[in-house]
Amino acid sequence: MIEVPALLPALPEIILAIGALALLMLGVFTGEKSLRTVSALAVLLLLAAAAAVLPGYRDTVVTFGGMFVSDSFGGFCKILILLGSALSIIISVDYLERENLKRFEYPVLIVLATLGMLMMVSSNDLIALYIGLETQSLALYVMAAFSRDSARSTEAGLKYFVLGALSSGMLLYGSSLIYGFTGGTSFSLIAAAVSGSGPVPIGVLLGLVFVMAGLAFKVSAVPFHMWTPDVYEGAPTPVTAFFAVAPKIAAMALLVRTMFGAFPEISDQWQQILVFLSIASMVVGAVFAIVQTNIKRLMAYSSIGHVGYALMGVATGTPDGVKSVLVYLAIYLAMNVGAFALIIAMRRKDGATESIADLAGLSRTRPAMAFALAIFMFSLAGIPPLAGFFGKFYVFIAAIEANLTFLAVIGALASAVSAFYYLRIVKVMYFDEPADAFDVNTGRGITAVATVSALVTLLFFVFPAPIVGAAAYAAQSLFQ
Amino acid sequence: MQGLLAEYLPILLFLGVATAFSLIMIGAAVLVARQNPDPAKLAAYECGFDAFGDSRGQFDVRFYLVAILFIIFDLEVAFLFPWAISLGGIGLFGFWSMMIFLGVLTVGFVYEWKKGALEWE
Amino acid sequence: MYLTFIVFLPLAAAIIAGFGGRVLGDRGAQLVTCGAVITSAILSIFAFYNVALGHQPEHVVLANWIVSGGFKVDWAIKVDTLTTVMLVVVNGVSCLVHVYSVGYMSHDPHKPRFMAYLSLFTFAMLMLVTADNFVQMFFGWEGVGLASYLLIGFWYKKPSANAAAIKAFLVNRVGDFGFALGIFGIFLVFGALDFATVFAAAPAMAGKSFTFLDHQVDVLNTLTFLLFIGAMGKSAQLGLHTWLPDAMEGPTPVSALIHAATMVTAGVFMVARCSPLFELAPGTLQFVTIIGASTAFFAATIGLVQNDIKRIIAYSTCSQLGYMFFALGVGAYGAGIFHLFTHAFFKALLFLGAGSVIHGMSDEQDIRKMGGLFPYMKVTAILMWIGSLALAGIGIPGIDLGFAGFYSKDIILESAYAAHSSVGFYAFWLGIAAAFMTAFYSGRLLFMTFHGHSRADHDVLHHAHESPQVMLIPLYILATGAVLAGFVFYEFFVGHHYAEFWNGALTVVDENVLEHAHHVPFWVKLLPLVMAVGGLAISWSFYIDNVPKWARLLGLVAALGIVGAGIAQGDGGLILTGVAALVLALVFYFGRTGAPGTLVASNQALYQFLLNKWYFDELYDTLFVRPAKWLGFQLWKKGDGKVIDGYGPDGVTAAIGFVARRARVLQTGYVYHYAFAMLIGVAALVTWYMLHSGGGH
Repeated sequence: MIEVPALLPALPEIILAIGALALLMLGVFTGEKSLRTVSALAVLLLLAAAAAVLPGYRDTVVTFGGMFVSDSFGGFCKILILLGSALSIIISVDYLERENLKRFEYPVLIVLATLGMLMMVSSNDLIALYIGLETQSLALYVMAAFSRDSARSTEAGLKYFVLGALSSGMLLYGSSLIYGFTGGTSFSLIAAAVSGSGPVPIGVLLGLVFVMAGLAFKVSAVPFHMWTPDVYEGAPTPVTAFFAVAPKIAAMALLVRTMFGAFPEISDQWQQILVFLSIASMVVGAVFAIVQTNIKRLMAYSSIGHVGYALMGVATGTPDGVKSVLVYLAIYLAMNVGAFALIIAMRRKDGATESIADLAGLSRTRPAMAFALAIFMFSLAGIPPLAGFFGKFYVFIAAIEANLTFLAVIGALASAVSAFYYLRIVKVMYFDEPADAFDVNTGRGITAVATVSALVTLLFFVFPAPIVGAAAYAAQSLFQ
Repeated sequence: MQGLLAEYLPILLFLGVATAFSLIMIGAAVLVARQNPDPAKLAAYECGFDAFGDSRGQFDVRFYLVAILFIIFDLEVAFLFPWAISLGGIGLFGFWSMMIFLGVLTVGFVYEWKKGALEWE
Repeated sequence: MYLTFIVFLPLAAAIIAGFGGRVLGDRGAQLVTCGAVITSAILSIFAFYNVALGHQPEHVVLANWIVSGGFKVDWAIKVDTLTTVMLVVVNGVSCLVHVYSVGYMSHDPHKPRFMAYLSLFTFAMLMLVTADNFVQMFFGWEGVGLASYLLIGFWYKKPSANAAAIKAFLVNRVGDFGFALGIFGIFLVFGALDFATVFAAAPAMAGKSFTFLDHQVDVLNTLTFLLFIGAMGKSAQLGLHTWLPDAMEGPTPVSALIHAATMVTAGVFMVARCSPLFELAPGTLQFVTIIGASTAFFAATIGLVQNDIKRIIAYSTCSQLGYMFFALGVGAYGAGIFHLFTHAFFKALLFLGAGSVIHGMSDEQDIRKMGGLFPYMKVTAILMWIGSLALAGIGIPGIDLGFAGFYSKDIILESAYAAHSSVGFYAFWLGIAAAFMTAFYSGRLLFMTFHGHSRADHDVLHHAHESPQVMLIPLYILATGAVLAGFVFYEFFVGHHYAEFWNGALTVVDENVLEHAHHVPFWVKLLPLVMAVGGLAISWSFYIDNVPKWARLLGLVAALGIVGAGIAQGDGGLILTGVAALVLALVFYFGRTGAPGTLVASNQALYQFLLNKWYFDELYDTLFVRPAKWLGFQLWKKGDGKVIDGYGPDGVTAAIGFVARRARVLQTGYVYHYAFAMLIGVAALVTWYMLHSGGGH
C-alpha cells in the first residue's frame, strides 16, 4: 500500500488546479462573454493561492515521496509568480476586448501556466521538474499563438513550440544521463551521488550541460535566446507582458533550485557554465537592443540582458548571491509589469502600435504616461536611486564578494551600453516632435498597475528592508 | 554489467523473432503468391491520403482534431490497464489518483464537447 | 588690532562692492572702497610712525592655516620697517588711485566691479607684504597676479586687453614656477617655511651643497636663484618682462597702481625680505646685479623710440626696476627700497598724469598726435614735469638738494660704484647710460606732448580739457611726494639713521656697501646729473624748434667748466665727466628738430631693433608660443580627438553600433537557425568540459 502523502504543502497548487478546471467549466458554459468574469475570478484565485503560500512559508516540508518541496525559497518565488500572473491578467483584459481576442481561455491558460510554474519552483526531482516545466510550457505555447488570425502570432507560437520541444528534449536527455550515472532522479539522491571524492563522472557533467541548456532556454539565456525576440514581438502584447515576468521568475527559480538542490557539491562546475551564460546574455542583451525599432523586441533583448545579471547572482554559488537574485527578480517584476502596462496602453484609434517612434513627444501629449515610462526606463537602465539600481547593486556586490569581480565589471560595462537604448526612449518621449496622440482611454486596470509599480520602483530605496530581508531569509532556506 | 545486459536479453530475443517472422512472411509472399502488379494496388485507400507526396498539400484540419482527441483517450486507456492490474497493490491512494486523472480528462471532454470540437459540420 | 584693519578693510570693501555693487550703486561702491582704503592708508602711516620711526616691530598671528605633521603655516601679520614702508607705498598709492578712478572711470558702466578689483588687489598686496612665511607670501603673490589679470582684462570686450591679460598671467606663471620651486626647496632644506626659522638657520647652510643630477650644487645659491626667478616674473626683469608693456591695455589707474608703484615692486620687496638668504648666496647676487643692470639699460633703449605715452612710462618702469635690483645685487638693500619708495610717488604721478592727458584728449595715447597741450592742461603739464624731473633725477649734488629720484637713483649708482666689483662696475656704467636715456625719453615725452606746435586732430584739440579736481588732488599729493620724499627720508633709508630705522629688517653680512657709497668721489655723484641734464637738453633741441641760443651756449660753458675744474683738481674722473658733458653739450648745441629723423634714417636697423623691443616677443613667439600652440593643437586634434575620443567614447559607440548592426543579421527568423544556435551552444559547452575535466572517466 502506498500512503496518502501530505497534501497541505501543495495547497496553492491544488487550489490553482481545481480552480482552473472550475473556471474552464464556468467559461465554457457561459460563453465568450464571460472574459471579464473569468478574469476577475482568476485574479482572485491567484491571490487565494498566494494567501495559501503564506502559512507554510517558514517551514521546509518534503512530500509526494520526496518529489515536492515547500520552503521559504519556493514561497518567495511563488508569491512573486502569483503576483506577476495576477497583474498580467489585470492589464490584459482591456486589450483583449479591443483587439477582438475576447476569449475566456486566456485567464484559464494563465492560471494553468502558473500552476506549472509553482510546480517547477517546488520540484525536488527531475521528473517533477519536467512535469512542471511542460505544464507551464504547453500553456505558454498556446498563449503565444493566442491571436489565431494573426500570422505573426501563430508563427510565434509555432516557433516557440518547436524550439521549446527541442529544449525539452535536451532537458530530458540530460536528465536520463544524470539518472544513468547517479542512479536516481531525486535531487537529494543526485546530490549524494556527486558529493563523493574523486573526479565528477563525465556523464554527469554532460547531463548537467544538457539540463542547463534546457533551463537556459526557458530563461532565454544566450545562446538559447533566439526565440525570445520573435516570440515577444509576435505574441499579443499582454501575452508578451506575461512571458516577460512570471515564466522568467519561475525558470530562474527552477535553475537555482536545481543547481543548489541537486549539484551543490560541484558548484565550481556549473559556475563555469553560468558565468559564460551570464556574460553572453548581458552583452547580447545590451548590444542587440541598440538597433531595435520595435519596443517589444527591445524589451525582449532587455529581458535577455536582465537574465544575464540575475545569472551572475546564481553563478556566485553563495547565499548572498541567491539573495541578490531574489531581490533582482522582485524588482524586475515591478519594473517590467509597469513598463509593459504602458506598452499595452500604446494605442491609437486605428489600433495598437509598437514602434518606438510612436512614443515621440509623449511628454507633451501624455505627460503622466511619459513620466511613468521614463521612471521604468531609468530603473531598467539601473540609475540610482530607482529600484533597478539596487537590483544590480546587490548582484554586483555578491559577485565581487565571490571573487567574480571581472563578471561584475562586464556587467557594469554592459549596463552602461544598455543605458543607451533605455535613455533613447526617454529622449524620444521628451525631446522629439510629438507624433499623433494615443487614445486617452487607457483603462483603470492599466493605470492602477502602472501607478503602483512606478511608485514601488521610485520608492524602493526608502524602505527596501521587507523585500531584502525576505529574500535573505528565503535564500538561507536553500543552504540548510 | 553482465546482469544489466542479461535483463535486456528478452528484448533481443523479441527483436530476433519479430525480424525473422516478418522476413518469413514477406519471403513466403514472394515465393508462394501470384505476382500481378497494378498501379491501383499502390494507391491510397478511399478515406486516407497518398502515402508519398508533397507534405505541403492541403487537407481539412478536422482530421487532426479528431486524431488528437482520439490519442488522448487512447492513452487514457493505456494508463488504465496497468492501473487496473495493480489496483490491489496501490490501494485507495492509487484508486483516487486515477479518479482525479479521469476527472480532469472528463472536464477536458466536456470542454471540447461544448466548444463543438466533436461536431463535424 | 589696527594692523588687522589695515589688511582686511580692503578685502571687506572688495567683497561689499563686488557682490553688492548692484545694490549699492556706483556711488556707494566708490564710497565703500575709497573709504576703506583711505582708512587703511591713514592707519598705515600710523603704523609707519609706530614701527619704523618708533622702532616697535609687531607680529600678530591671526590663525593657524596649515598644520600637517611638522609642516606648520600661520596666517599672520608681521610688521617691521620694511613692511611699513610697503604699507605706506601700497596703501598710499592705492587710496590715491581709488580716488582718481572715481573721476577717470566716470564714463565706464562697470564702476563697482572696477573698484572691487582695485580693493581686492590692495588686499592681496597687503597679504604679500605682511606675510611672516613663504606660503602666505605666495598667497599674496598669486592674489596680486589674479587681480592684475582681472584689471588688465577689465575691458573684456577688447581682444587686445584679453590677450594682454593672458600674457601677463602666463609670463608670471613662469616666474611663479621658479618661486614655488624655491619655496619647496626651502622646505626641503630647512623643514620650515616661516621667515624667522629659515633666516635663523640660513647661516649654517652657507656653502653647503647638495647633489642634483651628479652635480654638486650650492644650496643657498640654488634656492635664492629660484626665488629670484619669481621676482623676475613679477617685477618684469629682462627675459620675463614682456608682459609689462602689454599690461598697459588696462585702465590707466591700474597701470599706476599695479604696474608702476606696487605689484611690480613685489619682487624687489621679496628679495629684500629674503636678504638673509641672498646675502649668503654671492652667486645669485651677481646674477641679480647683472639682470638688474641689463634690464635698466635694455628697457631704457626701447623707451627711446616708443610713441605710446603709457608704453614709454611702462618701459621706464621696467628700467627703474632694474635699478632697484642691481642695488639689491650689490648689497645696497636700503637703496633699492628707497628707490622703490620714491619711484612709487613719481611713477604713479607720471601714470596718473598720463591718464589725465589721455582723459583730456579723448583716449588718445599716441604722442605723435599730441603737442602744444600746455595751454589746455597747465596743471597736468606742470605735474608731469615734476614727475619727469624726479624720474630723471635732477638735483644739485654739492648741497644734496633735488627731486626724490635724485636721492634714490644717485645712491644706487654710488653703491654700485662703491661695491668695487666687476659686476658693480658693469651695473654702474649701464646705469649711467640708462640715466641719460631716461632723461632723454622723459624729455621727449614732455616736449612732444605739451610743447611745440600741436599735431592733434582739430576736433580732439577742441575738446581737450583739464581733468576734474578729483583726479588732480591725488596728483598734487603724489607730486608733493615726488619732490619731498627723497629729501625727507634720505637719512632714514640710506643715511645716518639707517641702523635704527631698519632695525634689523634688512640683513647685510659683510660691511655695508652704503657706508662706502657716501664716500665715493665727487664725479660719481656728478656724472648722473650730467647725464640727466644732458638727456633733457638734447631732447629739447631735438623736439622743439626755438631753443634759445643762450641755452645752447650755456651747455657748452657748463661742460667746459667741469672739464676745467677737473684739470684744476687733477681729478681724472671729473675730467672724464667733463668730457662726457662736453659731448652732450655739443649734441645739444647742434641738435635740431630734423635730427631724430636723420638718425632713424641712417640707423634704420637699430631703430627697427629698438622699435620692435629687441624682438623679444617675436623670439618667444617662435620659441615657445608657436610650439606650445602646435603641441596643444596636435594633442587636441590628434591626441584627444582621434586617440582618446576615437578609441574611447566615439570609437566604442561606433564599434558597438557596428557590431549590433552586423549581429542582427544572425537573427534570421528561421527556426532551424535558432535550433542550430542552441545546438552549437550545447556543443561548445560540452567541448569545454571535455577539454577541462581532463578526460573524466
